[in-house]
Parts: sequence; C-alpha cells; structure tokens
Amino acid sequence: MSTVSVRYIVDDVDAAQKFYVRHLGFQLDMQPSPVFAMLSRGDLRLVLVAPVGPDHPGGGSRPMPDGTPQHPGGWNRFMLQVPDVDASAETLRRDGVRFRSDVISGVGTKQVMIEDPSGNPIELFEPLRPEARLQDS
Amino acid sequence: MTTDPLAALRLPIVPIEPRPEFADALLRRIEARPGPLDRQTATIRYFVADLDASVDFYCRLLDFEEELRPSPVFAMLYRGDLRLLLSVPGGAGAVHTLPDGTVPQPGGWNRMTLQVADLVSTADSLRRHQVVFRHDIEAGVGVRTLLVEDPSGNPVELIEPTSGYHERRNT
Repeated sequence: MSTVSVRYIVDDVDAAQKFYVRHLGFQLDMQPSPVFAMLSRGDLRLVLVAPVGPDHPGGGSRPMPDGTPQHPGGWNRFMLQVPDVDASAETLRRDGVRFRSDVISGVGTKQVMIEDPSGNPIELFEPLRPEARLQDS
Repeated sequence: MTTDPLAALRLPIVPIEPRPEFADALLRRIEARPGPLDRQTATIRYFVADLDASVDFYCRLLDFEEELRPSPVFAMLYRGDLRLLLSVPGGAGAVHTLPDGTVPQPGGWNRMTLQVADLVSTADSLRRHQVVFRHDIEAGVGVRTLLVEDPSGNPVELIEPTSGYHERRNT
C-alpha cells in the first residue's frame, strides 16, 4: 500500500504516466481526467498533474493566489533504489531517456539522475553502505 | 462423429485479455531475471540552504525524526515510510554538482504530500511558527490542501482527505 505521496507537475499527463509505467516500474492507478493521474510503486504514490486555471476544481496545480503558475523542473526529486545502477542506466539510455548526470559515486550511493518527458528529475541509486539501503516493506 | 473419452476431463478454454505487463512479469520470473527496478520504500531528496534550520523545521513542525546527520551537508530524516534526504548543494565534495558546473537549487514545484489529521490546526501551528505559505487551505478533489515552504523555499504540501476517493485500496 502506498503511504508516501509525491506530486510532480508535468506538461502532458498522458506522456508522463506512460513514461513512469514503461521505464520505471510504476503502476497506473487512475487517470480520471487529462490533467491528473495517480500512480504507485511500492510505498510511493506519484501524483502527476498538469497546470490548470484558477477555477479548475483540482487544487493541486492551480496558480498561487498571486497568479504564479506552477511548472515542471527544479532539483527536488524522489529516489528509486535499484540493484545495479549501471545496468539500469544502460537500459534507460537505450530507451532514449534523458540524463542530467552520468552515473556518479557519492558517499553512500552510486547514483544517476534522469528526466521525465517534462524535465522533472528522478534519481536512481544503488546503495553502497547499509545505512543507504532501503528495506522491502 | 467420434467422441473423445477425455473430453469431460479437459478444462474449458477461456479467452483471456492479453496483458503485456503480466506476461512480462511472468517471463521475468521464469527466466529468473530481476525486475526493471526493485520495489522499495520511498525516498525523496530535497536541496536546502541551511541544514540545521531544515532539520529543525521538518522535525519540530512536521513530525519527522532525525536518523543520521553525518556531515554538515547531509541529513536523513524519516516520517513513517518516507525517508527524506536533505542535501546542501555545492559544498565540499559537491557530489550533486553536474558535469557542466550546474549546482542544484532549492525550490520548484514538485513536492512531497504529507497527510495530516486536522489541516486547520496544522495550518494554525505553522502560521504561529512564521512558516511561509504559498497558498492557504484550498478545496481540491477529494482533499483539502495547503502549500507551505521549508526554510529554503522548498514546497511541502499538506493534505487532509475529505472523501474515500483519496484512500488507495490495499494491494
């Protein structure tokens, strides 16, 4: 059951949900409108929303009270643990997925940053030490 | 016409919907290949300007627990199944700096969504602590939402479900 929820702003919900399902092992739970989809992967629920106008009933992607619109991008991201980050990167590269960085070694993880079709970052990591490893829940 | 003596024992042929995901998963299991990615608990990385202020914000106001703070540029927090990594960009080691020199920044619109029991009282408490609101409590579909900022300007969305719509079935 998903217990953690993340909201990503995307330009095209349909293209985005297909990307997450095809390349990253997400499951599509619902897509009740062209501007909203709910996906899940293990404990992570991913809500994809496209920017809407101020009068749209969906609250997650309306502009702010001062009119500032929401948009994709930025650097904050969810991270997906993989057993072999080099192998995952190779598969994704073969599939034409965009990379922000190549595979790099950090302190606790080997990691790579890719982008969804709207340019939102996703980090894949392979734990290098026990504290970095997530357990199956 | 000859009758097949085994006919009664045969299972009926039932048309099934072709499901490529299912077939792929089955094939993976037969060939003992690993899945495209492990199914694991959720982790989020936020970039922050001031690690102490951020740890304090998440732990004191939003019920996170500090798990690790091994260096001045990294902390690991938990809230239930959510693991939140806070990284200060551009510091020593600068592992997150891109090859072209681009340094990650806090901010943007993608965010974690934290469910709370009583959004009004959470909003009151955050307001008392001078937390920055991007927008006040608003009605959405199935939820009421509130969008606040952490001390570095990262968005954090708080939601209170208003109907069963938002509750995902157990899997």
